[in-house]
Amino acid sequence: MAGGASGEPGPGAAAGIVVPETQEHLFKVLVIGELGVGKTSIIKRYVHQLFSQHYRATIGVDFALKVLNWDSKTLVRLQLWDIAGQERFGNMTRVYYKEAVGAFVVFDISRESTFEAVLKWKNDLDSKVQLANGIPIPTVLLANKCDQNKDNSHSPSQMDQFCKENGFTGWFETSAKDNINIDEAVRFLVENILANYKNFPNEDDVDKIKLDHTTLRAESKSQCC
Amino acid sequence: MADKLPSEFDVVVIGTGLPESIIAAACSRSGQSVLHVDSRSYYGGNWASFSFSGLLSWIKEYQEENNGEEWTAWQELILETEEGVALRKKDQTIQHVEVICYASQDSDEHVEEVGAVQKNPGSVTSASTNDPPDSMVTACSDTSELTTPLSEPEAAREVPDVDVTLGNENHGGDTDCSQSPLEQEKAGNLPVGEDVVDAPKKNRITYSQIVKEGRRFNIDLTSKLLYSRGLLIDLLIKSNVSRYAEFKNVTRILGYQEGNVLQVPCSRADVFNSKKLTMVEKRMLMKFLTFCLDYEQQPDEYKAYEECTFSEYLKTQKLTPNLQHFVLHSIAMTSEESTSTLDGLRETQNFLRCLGRYGNTPFLFPLYGQGELPQCFCRMCAVFGGTYCLSHAVQCLVVDKESGKCKAIIDHFGQRISAKYFIVEDSYLTEKTCSNVTYRQISRAVLITDQSVLKADSDQQISILTVPPVEPGSEAVRVVELCSSTMTCMKGTYLVHLTCPSSKKTAREDLESVVQKLFTPYAEAELENEELKKPNLLWALYFNMRDSSDISRECYNDLPSNVYVCCGPDGFLGNKNAVKQTGMYSCSMSSFWNSALPCAYKPTSGTTSSPKPSLILIFLLKFSQNTLDPSDTLLRNVFSRVLDLNSLSSATEMLWLFPPYLFSQGQHNSLHNRCLIKNC
Ligand SMILES: Cc1cc2nc3c(=O)[nH]c(=O)nc-3n(C[C@H](O)[C@H](O)[C@H](O)COP(=O)(O)OP(=O)(O)OC[C@H]3O[C@@H](n4cnc5c(N)ncnc54)[C@H](O)[C@@H]3O)c2cc1C
Ligand SMILES: Nc1nc2c(ncn2[C@@H]2O[C@H](COP(=O)(O)OP(=O)(O)O)[C@@H](O)[C@H]2O)c(=O)[nH]1
Ligand SMILES: [Mg+2]
Repeated sequence: MAGGASGEPGPGAAAGIVVPETQEHLFKVLVIGELGVGKTSIIKRYVHQLFSQHYRATIGVDFALKVLNWDSKTLVRLQLWDIAGQERFGNMTRVYYKEAVGAFVVFDISRESTFEAVLKWKNDLDSKVQLANGIPIPTVLLANKCDQNKDNSHSPSQMDQFCKENGFTGWFETSAKDNINIDEAVRFLVENILANYKNFPNEDDVDKIKLDHTTLRAESKSQCC
Repeated sequence: MADKLPSEFDVVVIGTGLPESIIAAACSRSGQSVLHVDSRSYYGGNWASFSFSGLLSWIKEYQEENNGEEWTAWQELILETEEGVALRKKDQTIQHVEVICYASQDSDEHVEEVGAVQKNPGSVTSASTNDPPDSMVTACSDTSELTTPLSEPEAAREVPDVDVTLGNENHGGDTDCSQSPLEQEKAGNLPVGEDVVDAPKKNRITYSQIVKEGRRFNIDLTSKLLYSRGLLIDLLIKSNVSRYAEFKNVTRILGYQEGNVLQVPCSRADVFNSKKLTMVEKRMLMKFLTFCLDYEQQPDEYKAYEECTFSEYLKTQKLTPNLQHFVLHSIAMTSEESTSTLDGLRETQNFLRCLGRYGNTPFLFPLYGQGELPQCFCRMCAVFGGTYCLSHAVQCLVVDKESGKCKAIIDHFGQRISAKYFIVEDSYLTEKTCSNVTYRQISRAVLITDQSVLKADSDQQISILTVPPVEPGSEAVRVVELCSSTMTCMKGTYLVHLTCPSSKKTAREDLESVVQKLFTPYAEAELENEELKKPNLLWALYFNMRDSSDISRECYNDLPSNVYVCCGPDGFLGNKNAVKQTGMYSCSMSSFWNSALPCAYKPTSGTTSSPKPSLILIFLLKFSQNTLDPSDTLLRNVFSRVLDLNSLSSATEMLWLFPPYLFSQGQHNSLHNRCLIKNC
């Protein structure tokens, strides 16, 4: 699913002669953190340029797709996976984690308890998903709701230190409400994912089968009542 | 995370196996609030799949005499007008768990391969300080004696730190294991460690490599495949749950004849390319298979044999014994003794119809294992607002004495959670409830091997092999061999699942003779050169699983009318049973149709057109939400037109096709409100 390069030409044809015009990547990125820190809002802001103070239901939000024209040679399809309310009692399915290549861990700067839960989320993430080479996936820490008053006194240097010690690739102060730093944070994460990809390109498995509506529809027409 | 659960839901689902998860997703999707709990710490129940370390802790769980924590007495929590139906504390569905490790358990040979295999950037160095254990084989005759190497799952997970030297690695109970007074019959036949160390150089996979690469394994408790035109595939597609899963086509159908594993030709191209078949046989087979594709059109061909078994029928057809064998065991996959001609023809037809939809064989296998599928449905349920709690036990169902209906559950914290409908997986019911139920057993083996049972150009093969009964009266054994690109085992290994209905006492007794036919115990390989062609066994697990399928509802004692029982996995290859029963849930709602409704609403003869699916959908929703007013014209509308349950169940299928925004504003609002409450 996510993670593989599906660009042309295929791995075999890339042997020198034809220079690939554009490379396409599909990246699955997880957005995790405590309930109410703004995960769904961040996804909606980033993908649909929307923010609603009142929107609270996670219902129906599964993953959102955003296509990035990264540079003249690279197209990135970003799948942002929402946690679908399962954070509340903390039992995520493997379906959620599998084949993710990057993650955001979000906390709410106006609620210190959500920062305290960050490490629990990071550890859970590292135990459930790794890159093919066995190292953790790049993870960016988001200090969300920076439009509001802080509930703690972590200085930027303390945050840097925290990220270093706990294996976060970096951190950003964001606001889904005022659209602060969200594009920047995503760019930063994608840069890291792409760097990983260059070092350890995923082998694309061409035999994988995806089932979809089109197959069914095409066939069921004939036998319809 | 430690929030208190809401105290009211529309539906409470207990157990996260495939059927329960399908129902949970269907309910959530159609706008009902769903609480989905499992007393275990993982999804899937007996449908689960595990990493290697996860499987080791699963094994451990079944040997520990653990009666669970003390529960607050629920008796005090129910009213005088209520009755409690206790649920089971400890699962009883798994028995006779035996583990045998054939791979070398010392860590000083060819460890460089570990790095190569996993492409680990850091090199793994060998300290080679450990003395090899005396015996490489640990065998256990029963669960209570099981002391095979069981590393702590956490410890095992931590291991792959790049600069850990293997010699220093903690292998949990390795040494205990070889010292413990275990059944040594196998060990006696095998060479001791030194022989293997001195053995010719070959990339041999050690036990510590398996542990180290344990995360690459996704080992299913239940081994099944999906028929490419089966109910489950259709359901996955219609419900859009398929977006969470990817599949691989099974690449080969294998047969076993006179001690050899052979590839069975089944598609037209296969038949014509086969070198094993003579020209005459090719024509015979094609003719017969073509007939099977629409056998109903030519009743004269089989009418006379309807009373016979399929194998007798095959003898009357122009097929050589060779071909009869393959059609019976590898294409129809039916039993020699008990399958009727019609059943055999139907199975053959099913097989042929499934061919070619996605590839050369009729079967699909989900990447990461069959255990992925229940989780896909759970994700769908969660996306539509379902609430999930694992490690959450339910003490009892609370039944209202007067109405006989279940009102609520009491969970392990003593919290009462009420709902309108309750779905309970069979294994949660107590002996008291199931005293009249007789269960069958499934025998299972899981093997890790180093080669395919039939080598081919590509080592990435997914094969299904049926081994006919060894002796009269015993059962055919279904073997599914998975390669590493199915994401169920580490590179350089194969994961082999064996399944058959139990006939002897333990799974090992049922299956070991087949295992011995197909594989060589690891250490024997170098000694018996003529046996070298067989793959080596590295590790084996045997266990029995209870088969709770096909139990009629009446067999359970005192089941309230709004409690539905889902069965665990059956022994069949496909998933028909799991999917079918989920339709029954909606059909059970319809027993209401026959009993509770005034005659005026019952179908009148002569009505022909069936109601619009959308109407039935709304009806079902209103019905399930108790917002159905008896004077509602909807009732008359739907009712006067539903002729049989079949059209109802096809209507419930429609539940999947209608996204919630089709509901009326009122319903939508209440749905929305519920979400608000939930997220507060
Ligand atoms: C009682 C009822 C409740 C409905 N509730 C909802 C709802 O909650 N949300 C929603 O999105 N859609 C609702 N619908 C509409 C429904 O989803 C379909 O759009 C509609 O039934 C199919 O319309 P049609 O033109 O295809 O079929 P038609 O052939 O026009 O109608 C099928 C049958 O339904 C009867 N019918 C149609 N409309 C009504 C009505 N308003 N009252 C009584 N009988 C009627 C007709 O007489 C006919 O027998 C409701 C429909 C009915 C009948
Ligand atoms: N002030 C402010 N509120 C926010 C921000 N992001 C989200 N919220 C609010 O926080 C609440 C929870 O957000 P939601 O996205 O549902 O959180 P989730 O549970 O993590 O998905 C909602 O009321 C949002 O409107 C932000 O950046 N600033
Ligand atoms: Mg949310």
